[in-house]
Amino acid sequence: MLLPKFDYHEPLSVDEACQIMSDLGEKAKPLAGGTDLIVNMKKKILSPEHLVALSRIEDLRKIELLNGSVRIGACVTAAELAESQEIKRGLGALGQGAGILGSPLIRNLATVAGNLVSARPAADLPPPLMAYGAEVVLKSRRGERTLPLETFFQGPGQTLLEIDEILTEIIIQRPPESAGAGYIKLGTRKALEISLVNVAAYVALDSSGTTIEAARVVLGAVAPTPLRSPSAEKLLIGEKVDPSLFEKAGQAAAKDSRPIDDFRGSAQYRRDMVAVLTRRALNMALEQARRA
Amino acid sequence: MTQYTVINKRAPRLDAPDKSTGRAKYVDDMTLPGMLFGALLQSPLAHARILNIDVSKAKRLPGVKAVVTAEDAGLIKYGVSPARYDETLFCHEKVRYVGDEIAAVAAVDLETALEAISLIKVDYEELPAVFTPEEAMAQGAPVIHEEYPGNVCAEVHQEFGDVEAAFQDCDLIRTDRFVNKRQDAAFLEPNGCIADYDRFGNLTLYTSTQVPHYVQRTVAMVLKLPVGRVRVIKPYVGGGFGPKAAANPMELAACLLSKKIGRPVKMNYSREQVFLFSRARHQFVHTLTTGVKKDGTIMALKNECYLEGGAYASFGIATVYYAGSLLAAPYRLANMKYDGYRVYTNKPACGAQRGHGGVAARAAWEQQLDAIAEELGMDPIEFRLKNVMSAGDITCNDLNMSSFGMKDCIEAVKKGSGWSEKKGKMPKGKGIGMACGFFVSGAGYPIYRSDTYHATVTVKLSEDGGTATVYTGAAEIGQGSDTTMALIAAEALGVRYEDVRVASGDTEYGIDLGAYSSRTTLMTGHATKEAAESVKRQVLQVLGDRLKVPVDQMDIKNGYIVFKGETPDFSSIRTAYIKEHRGWTDNPDEEPLTFREAARLAYLEKGTIVGTGKYKPGKLGGKYKGAAVGTSPAYGCSAQVAEVSVDMETGKVSVERVTDAHDCGFAINRTSVEGQMEGSVSMGLGEALLEEVKFDEKGNILNANLAEYKIPTCLDMPNVKSLIVESNEPNGPFGAKEVGEGAIMPTIPAILNAVYDAIGVRINELPLTPERVYMAIRRKKGKQ
Repeated sequence: MLLPKFDYHEPLSVDEACQIMSDLGEKAKPLAGGTDLIVNMKKKILSPEHLVALSRIEDLRKIELLNGSVRIGACVTAAELAESQEIKRGLGALGQGAGILGSPLIRNLATVAGNLVSARPAADLPPPLMAYGAEVVLKSRRGERTLPLETFFQGPGQTLLEIDEILTEIIIQRPPESAGAGYIKLGTRKALEISLVNVAAYVALDSSGTTIEAARVVLGAVAPTPLRSPSAEKLLIGEKVDPSLFEKAGQAAAKDSRPIDDFRGSAQYRRDMVAVLTRRALNMALEQARRA
Repeated sequence: MTQYTVINKRAPRLDAPDKSTGRAKYVDDMTLPGMLFGALLQSPLAHARILNIDVSKAKRLPGVKAVVTAEDAGLIKYGVSPARYDETLFCHEKVRYVGDEIAAVAAVDLETALEAISLIKVDYEELPAVFTPEEAMAQGAPVIHEEYPGNVCAEVHQEFGDVEAAFQDCDLIRTDRFVNKRQDAAFLEPNGCIADYDRFGNLTLYTSTQVPHYVQRTVAMVLKLPVGRVRVIKPYVGGGFGPKAAANPMELAACLLSKKIGRPVKMNYSREQVFLFSRARHQFVHTLTTGVKKDGTIMALKNECYLEGGAYASFGIATVYYAGSLLAAPYRLANMKYDGYRVYTNKPACGAQRGHGGVAARAAWEQQLDAIAEELGMDPIEFRLKNVMSAGDITCNDLNMSSFGMKDCIEAVKKGSGWSEKKGKMPKGKGIGMACGFFVSGAGYPIYRSDTYHATVTVKLSEDGGTATVYTGAAEIGQGSDTTMALIAAEALGVRYEDVRVASGDTEYGIDLGAYSSRTTLMTGHATKEAAESVKRQVLQVLGDRLKVPVDQMDIKNGYIVFKGETPDFSSIRTAYIKEHRGWTDNPDEEPLTFREAARLAYLEKGTIVGTGKYKPGKLGGKYKGAAVGTSPAYGCSAQVAEVSVDMETGKVSVERVTDAHDCGFAINRTSVEGQMEGSVSMGLGEALLEEVKFDEKGNILNANLAEYKIPTCLDMPNVKSLIVESNEPNGPFGAKEVGEGAIMPTIPAILNAVYDAIGVRINELPLTPERVYMAIRRKKGKQ
């Protein structure tokens, strides 16, 4: 399979990139790691006339701590996320997701923003990011807007990103000390795997360390977009931690999931697995919250 | 026991430096002057009549040098087995699967060739298609090949002994149905080739193949060229596993295009095209009925099998025979009945893959035997040991186990795995299982009926006396045959491994049927040994004449001449040698007479020293129809113990340890034997847990890539304890026989039996995906 012909742009700043995107409109696509875009171009699923490479914009490659928030540049790779001390400290579930995305070769190229704008229902980074309540910053010549990540996804391959916009960074408020999160994916093999189901869970405990103050449960590959489970969260918040609670939360999450049958697996199996993985992810989150 | 100086040790591979530094040349690394690029037009429909093909636009595209269809290729039928030649180079009249070849283009670059392909207009009339044996064999089903009205490509009906009578004497009879899935061999290097037809009418084809010889014959036949005008050269090959064991349409198309244009033409399959060409493992549906006595004696086996074959025969006739014949061992079995049907469907053609025809049958039966042992209250190992064959046994279908270390293999894995401490004592979710298997060590007969030698080898000494080169048509495809031949030649000649070079994989170097049926070590090994021994004899003859020492009083070992009696005065030879090499810094000095001095002397006396060797098996096997499939000069056998851990909530199986014993007769290179054993475990593990080529309802492959067609990653591989068993095969060179394919036989059933041990429910369908295992656990819970 050969790449179709295209023009290649290499802006050195976000402003320059936004200008090019604004000028070219539908004809252009931003290029970050290319692990999704280039493959789809080879398959002739996408054939943009212009690629706007973001790889030389230094600002997009940083992980910064700012006033209690962590700002992750769009072009930070999965490998960098997985190894980052800033991420490991307090945002462990994101590091876990980044560390099992694809294979080492893919992780060296694939970027955090790419994993979001491609909007694959089984992607590894949206669930942990949504569990941490991440926001995305979208920039264009027209200005800048910040959206909660969970509103960003509209369907498989579809997001609120406008044609001239570039996702430039992800902002996460640092979770409190008493919080923890976990991420699990289930595939058929141990690596280089597309999730049959993935789940991220976040819990924050009160000062006594026994009651759940805040909870987020995010399910992947069981709906057109990564999905929060309101029933599970409702069931958890304000309750005292005990093993049967997580079991019930798992059941509730399974009810919230909307999986389909496809060649990778059946809806029934996926729904059953949501319950199992939710319970396990909650246990991981709790363990981390208690360790703090 | 004979003391060997070169073989039976751990030799580094000859190809390791090139492959590990990226210097190894595969066909896609090659460029010839004036080379064009070819592309194929393949059918988008599973079954359709071709009403019209319009190539006019494609021909007009600048840069296009030729467009060819069936009109140019002719309608010569070819295939694997002459009894089922059912393919033509390009489809005429109709297409039979998504991927069937319709036309080919050669152009100045690949972009132009692909664009030209997109400009060919084909009018189709879509026909109803069939995708399963049931659909294909149903009353009134659409016919795929007119010559085969019921869509049955081949059927086999055999009975040895009297199965029904034997069942009368059984205490326990059990029937199970077992299904595997269609595989892709998932070799690293997609097929590729360069065809170069020169102005003298000679065609040279560089291709990624397991079988230069068969490709040479098929190309000659289809292109109507004398065989002697066709030369097939195999550069380094990145794996084959079966699907590269016959000519493919791309090779033929490249040859046709090059012949037409008079320039070299390169063509490659994309990964998707590898899946479309397929020729890998069939789907088998086995129904097995086994009868045993209370004491565990296996009395009779009834085997019914349906193979989903795809659109063409490929290796299918052999496959359907193997699916029966390869259950006749390793257990004593007097009564065996087999009914096999290989059925055409509108899917890519299946063919041969590692463990040809026998892998699903073996998995089915070894799992059933495990269930029977349990019903009898016997330990599965004791049950197998009770029935196991030994050297000298002949199966009910006339396969002669001339050496057979099956019992040693079983005992080795029992001890090596700590079976007795573990079996029955593992917690829920953990399990241990074992299985056995055997396989041919080279097909007893060529694919076409012939008295041809299966291998001819030439060993030539360099005129300086320092190096021996082995010339062989054998196909190094990554399995290590070059290394094996170098070791055999070095041992037989008496020189060091590093003083032997191997030139291989070229039809100019001699006859070699190629890398399939685990034949190379035994067959090419015999020919190599004979050729090297001839060279040794010639050198010693000249030396003996000069020194007045009888030849039988001398030997060559490790590069030195060994005199059994008193060392004669060889100073005149040495003086002459040193005179010829005035100024050299490495002349022999105090040391004994060297091989290179003797070899140089032999050259000076007789000219270039060349020895030839040849091999074909003697008369083998029975006289019944189909007896040729399964006969072999020797049989390898193996036993494996798998230990698994199953996540009872998700159904995910993790294979944690495998203990593997294989009887290879005699290990020429211990490292290579272990490599084959580990590779077999990896391939078997993938087939057991992960692999399945999936289709939509129109016959399109859903997972024609290595992201969605899942083979094991290194993280999925367990630690493998490889135990080599040596039984000294009388028909093998230095006692050696196969390891390449037999080693895969026990892997799937050992895992199946271990999973049963872990979860308490038998699963009769592969692969054991988390979902399939989870559903089985759930069904069992539901029943309780």
